[in-house]
Amino acid sequence: MKKLISMVVAAALAVTSVFALAGCSSANGGNGGGSKASFKVGAIYINSQNDTSGYTYAHHKGVTEGMKKVGLDPAKDLFIVDNVPEDDEKVKQAIDQLAGNGCNIIFGISFGYINAFEEKAKEYPDIIFSHATGYLSNDKNFNNYFGRIYQARYLAGIAAGYKSLALGNNNIGYVSAWGTEYAETCSGINAFAMGCMAVNPDAKVSVYEISTWGDQQLERQAAETLIDTYGCCVIAQHCDSSQPQIVANEKGVFGCGYNSDMTTEAPAAHLTAPIWNWDVYYATAMKAAMEDPANFMTKVGIYYEGLNAGLVDISPLSSNCEPETKEAVELAKNLMKNGEWDVFSGVKLSFSGSAGSVAVEKTNAALVTNDGAEIVAAGGPSVEDGVITGSMNYYVEGVTQVN
Amino acid sequence: MRKYHLVRRADARLKRTLIYYAIGILVSLIIGAIILVALGINPLDYYGRMFTIGLVGNRYGYKSIEGLLKIFVPLLITSLALSLSFKMRFWNIGGEGEFLIGAIAASIVAFNSTGMPNFVTVLLMCLAAMISSGIIGIAVAALKVKFNTNETLMTLMINYIMLYVIRYIGETKADWNFFLRDDSERPKFGTFPDSAVMAGIPIGQFKLLWSVLIALALTAIVFVYLKYTKQGYEISVVGDSSATAKYAGMSVGKIVLRTMFISSAMIGLAAALAVSSAGTISDTITNNVGWTGIIVAWLSKLSVPAVFVTSVLISILQYGCQAAATQYPAIDSNYADLLQGIILFSVLVADFAANFKIVRKEDAKNA
Repeated sequence: MKKLISMVVAAALAVTSVFALAGCSSANGGNGGGSKASFKVGAIYINSQNDTSGYTYAHHKGVTEGMKKVGLDPAKDLFIVDNVPEDDEKVKQAIDQLAGNGCNIIFGISFGYINAFEEKAKEYPDIIFSHATGYLSNDKNFNNYFGRIYQARYLAGIAAGYKSLALGNNNIGYVSAWGTEYAETCSGINAFAMGCMAVNPDAKVSVYEISTWGDQQLERQAAETLIDTYGCCVIAQHCDSSQPQIVANEKGVFGCGYNSDMTTEAPAAHLTAPIWNWDVYYATAMKAAMEDPANFMTKVGIYYEGLNAGLVDISPLSSNCEPETKEAVELAKNLMKNGEWDVFSGVKLSFSGSAGSVAVEKTNAALVTNDGAEIVAAGGPSVEDGVITGSMNYYVEGVTQVN
Repeated sequence: MRKYHLVRRADARLKRTLIYYAIGILVSLIIGAIILVALGINPLDYYGRMFTIGLVGNRYGYKSIEGLLKIFVPLLITSLALSLSFKMRFWNIGGEGEFLIGAIAASIVAFNSTGMPNFVTVLLMCLAAMISSGIIGIAVAALKVKFNTNETLMTLMINYIMLYVIRYIGETKADWNFFLRDDSERPKFGTFPDSAVMAGIPIGQFKLLWSVLIALALTAIVFVYLKYTKQGYEISVVGDSSATAKYAGMSVGKIVLRTMFISSAMIGLAAALAVSSAGTISDTITNNVGWTGIIVAWLSKLSVPAVFVTSVLISILQYGCQAAATQYPAIDSNYADLLQGIILFSVLVADFAANFKIVRKEDAKNA
């Protein structure tokens, strides 16, 4: 026994010394206490930066690409606290850590970080606080940012609409994290449904709510139910994993993913996915914070951009799409980019014609909920942004929640 | 045909145990270092930052100490409380649930305390938390005393019930729900009014919260209680053998009820101090102390001074792991958790090796 222990100790010592040497020769790693002049970025993530898909992955990709755009090195100038739950105390501690490491701007990507960001923005007036999906800000160093992802969902709806027309099946399914409880999911469902109906006026969108932002098993079951029980021919989604697309692929129907191009996961099923280009925002915010932090709130302020800024888009149309899709998507995209038209207004788009001669027509039509209440009168202007991000809690005509 | 078997060492010695612990920790750090090297990070540099909890080069070092203490206080009190019940061989693994009950009770007081004096509010929060957690503790103990139910199962289930209760509160937007922010469309826990936020003694920029002093005082009280009082003695007798206790004329049922009340009430107090220090509540407010506390209690062999030391070390480990991970973009908290797990596991193995030895069968016969 004694002999064994002394051998273990000797081996341990030998191994540590080897590592010590290896460590010295490898990259310097770590970046605490670098030069004071350099600009440092802090980020607080809900999941891990080493994720390979999903919400945190999309933001982390945006942060690192944004940093490269403005000449920062993510290996040296980026500080991350990851897996931070929506718990004020833990978020505050994460902010203290990042502030202590000298970060000049701190991004928080999850809605529930809001209280801690509000409080800490007062405590550290020299640091810029930027909070995704929130609704609070101040006039000095605290903003919020989000994007018009509903515009991209409308475009995905067009692709789904053409597919349902071609298949002669009006049932379209939508696996959603939440239903009308969250304006974010609710506006996404509505925009997608309106995109479908712009192409196929008889389209019906069935929503299956899984009541969590991500659960691969539930996402899978929801997609199976929508296909098997409700006969859906296209499965769209607002949830974290690509399971709904994988199920669509297995069952020989079609689908629209979310967050990343899911054609790799569902090669025979995937049409296109609404995606975020977060680097567009992150580069803008970092640049402003580097050059003129005192005027951050006038230069960047509350950030809510869409197709026009390139913050949201759809992934390249796959070969599964119907031939008319490309032209129709371009037409709708240009109208939104130029600010001529927006989704939640009293004007509806309708597409007609075959590939090569697709035409779009605008008609005045009221925005009506699925229980008949009128939200916007025919010809009226779009609902306010605050409704889309905060208070939309109804489905439009043509949408039903099945569970 | 088992050739080898385990024998408890007759001569368990502290020195040997400590040496084994050191070897265990060393081995786990080496395993961690292999991963770090694979990621291109200098392990010595990383461990340096970890064990100094990221204080080196930190602009707001005093905040790191404050953060560390906020992790330490609930862990210490919960571990002490669990030691009390474990000493009686009452397997209370419901620390998480008892903590959440206390946190909810304290928050009910806190959210309705606008305008009340700070001292009164915090005192009421502590009392509300202690009483409500204590009642649950007594209820489980009563079931055990009366019907001989399995307390491990009963306390375990409390954890999940309470977890879902607090999630329900946190996700339900309704008029009655004063826990949530009014102005938010999405459900989100609000923050306490200033009247309910733990005060402290400012030392320069650093603020020493009263909760830290309360925890220290409580440690001393539990130490004295177990070592020098009749009730403390009764607990250890019941733990050694309830038959002996009965024979000696002790009312075992009463002792179990009383001790479980104290144990749960202490966990409730830990929760009240935690929510008051945080100024809010959440479904992760426990920071897993109900589980970690079990490890602390057992690593400490249920000795109060050892619980204190172990709580300090585990808090430093937890806080340091996160602080170091922050400074390396490639390292996420999964690595920090992994390293903590490996260290704790190695120490437990070391502890086992220090108390047991493997002997050949023939040797055992001769022994």
